[in-house]
Amino acid sequence: MRLTLQMLISHGRVARKMGLGPESRINMLRNLLTGLVRHERIETIYTRADEVRFYAEKLIDYAKKGDTDEKAMKMASFWLTEKDLVPKLFKVLAPRFETQTHSYTRMARLPNRENLDRAKMAVLEYKGNPFPPLYPVKKKNKLTLINQLLKGYREERAQQAAGKGVGN
Amino acid sequence: MMNLVVLVRNLRRSLLQIESRILQAAGLDRQQAPALALNGPSLLPQPQQEQELEDQQPPGVLDSILWMAVPKKRRTIEVNRTRRRSETKLIKVKNNIEPCPECGHLKQKHVLCGFCYRKVCKETALIRQQINAMEGGPLRAPTVETVVLYEGETPSQQDKDKRIVERPRKRPAWFS
Repeated sequence: MRLTLQMLISHGRVARKMGLGPESRINMLRNLLTGLVRHERIETIYTRADEVRFYAEKLIDYAKKGDTDEKAMKMASFWLTEKDLVPKLFKVLAPRFETQTHSYTRMARLPNRENLDRAKMAVLEYKGNPFPPLYPVKKKNKLTLINQLLKGYREERAQQAAGKGVGN
Repeated sequence: MMNLVVLVRNLRRSLLQIESRILQAAGLDRQQAPALALNGPSLLPQPQQEQELEDQQPPGVLDSILWMAVPKKRRTIEVNRTRRRSETKLIKVKNNIEPCPECGHLKQKHVLCGFCYRKVCKETALIRQQINAMEGGPLRAPTVETVVLYEGETPSQQDKDKRIVERPRKRPAWFS
């Protein structure tokens, strides 16, 4: 093997190395993806979640091609190690994202893991899952003082406009 | 009379021999010509030059030891302090910490609040326990969507074809 400087320096290389090698990396991503399809929300290390995200969205794209497509079925049976998730993928997840073209997943960073390694954690989920949302939905409270005052102001202006209209 | 002279002559000869031998041993007899003219190195070894050679160790090692980098002076406490407290060595101040608007615990701006996430985790764990109880075993994922309903809620028009997971408690405020 030629020992060149190019091999030692990795400037600009975007492909991540995970696990023991490329095969190990694919196996790890396959396990993560199976877990994601089963539970629809998983919590892992940030870099692993980032890698799985691409494969999760590509899998949905393949699933959208339909049950009967041979390539789609091969992909699904390769990537999902638990075979009861293959019908779930085609009948639940693909119809859920029919109207969307991209971004079927949501990734959010979590506080670092409590262990000695303090690893950077992230939570990855498919949108539209039945669980409580990660980002709380902000409800506008109509009963706050400012909102009540603004409501009164709007009603006054509407009355004035109506009064003017009647006068004219 | 004759024996005495012979004795004296023998004594003198032996004394001279002893002297010459001593001189030879001491190496001080260079003024005298050798008894036999020999071609080659001098008979006596010359130990001093060899010792000198051995005293000087192999030149490479000694040279490098002599020329190694070594501090010339003790670093003063002022110099040490400026090095130890330089900007690069101090811990950087983080200005991206803010209180979470929901619970008030501190969080980083680009990270989810730990407390609120723990809350959500606990509820999802209970929902998943309910789902496992409904499925009854491993590897039985259904081919329909799932919806979670709390106490006193009836399935709406959208939840018609979905599997309903019931949780025996009031709907929490943070779960739309």
